[in-house]
Amino acid sequence: MHEMSVALEIGRIAQEQAGPRGPASVATVAVEVGDDAGVEISSLAFCLEAVLAAPPFAGAKAVITRLPGDVLRVAYLEVDDGRPDH
Amino acid sequence: MAVRTIDVRERVMARNDALAAEVRRRLREAGVVAFNLVSSPGSGKTTLLERTLADVGEELRIAVVTGDVQTQNDAERLARHTDRLVQAVVTNGACHLDARQVLAALDAVELERTWLLFIENVGNLVCPASWDLGEDAKIVLFSVTEGEDKPVKYPKVFQQARYAVLSKLDLLPHVPFRVERAIAYARQVNPTLEFFFTSALEAEGLEEWYHFLRAQVRRRRTAA
Repeated sequence: MHEMSVALEIGRIAQEQAGPRGPASVATVAVEVGDDAGVEISSLAFCLEAVLAAPPFAGAKAVITRLPGDVLRVAYLEVDDGRPDH
Repeated sequence: MAVRTIDVRERVMARNDALAAEVRRRLREAGVVAFNLVSSPGSGKTTLLERTLADVGEELRIAVVTGDVQTQNDAERLARHTDRLVQAVVTNGACHLDARQVLAALDAVELERTWLLFIENVGNLVCPASWDLGEDAKIVLFSVTEGEDKPVKYPKVFQQARYAVLSKLDLLPHVPFRVERAIAYARQVNPTLEFFFTSALEAEGLEEWYHFLRAQVRRRRTAA
């Protein structure tokens, strides 16, 4: 039921950590969710999709990994660093 | 595009927990004991607090921060029983209180005139379990009109609580609720959970509850 609060906080952390090119450059937000974290995965995925589709994000994708225990954290971000492919 | 990975490893609750630590620090400094009261809607949190405020509100210098999804009805109900402070937090849809709301509410509470603070959470046995509010302990209420198996259905909140209040005991003759089964279920998820048995309407079991509150306040005041 509180997955939207969790998703918003994940959005805030991602925004803070996004680096010099800002939240719009974030391609992936990787989240680890423990079985005992009290978070319903499908509901969190749904909420994160909404949060990461809206500004300041530009359609970042959430990757949720289930783990044992009560961990609930943002593991890493993938950002487009603006350099051309080589 | 070239993708760069940024290692974050930040706990989602980190900011809430930092704010909760600040709440805890301020309460400790002021010598205030704080309990976070959680239950499903209608278990009797407000009624227990009404009775407690009327009976020992002055003696124990009780202040209340009460959270509701909508309306300030609970705060108004409680305020009728005390001249002491009752601070309402309307969450506007959110299913729980968070530490930021409690920290903001503390500014309205005169901590130097307070010994005991009750934080009445939003009626909900799921979400409040995930948010530390800076309390000394969580107290979970459930009533004899609910299922005996509440503790195993909502284990997280019962695991986190240090105390449980079984409420509405005056209704026991009218419902099929078996107290010993409820206790057994509760001990299954939390073997050290301490129980109180109350009827706030008929004023049963309240002496033991008040005795406990007095002891908690005394311990904190002598430590301060």
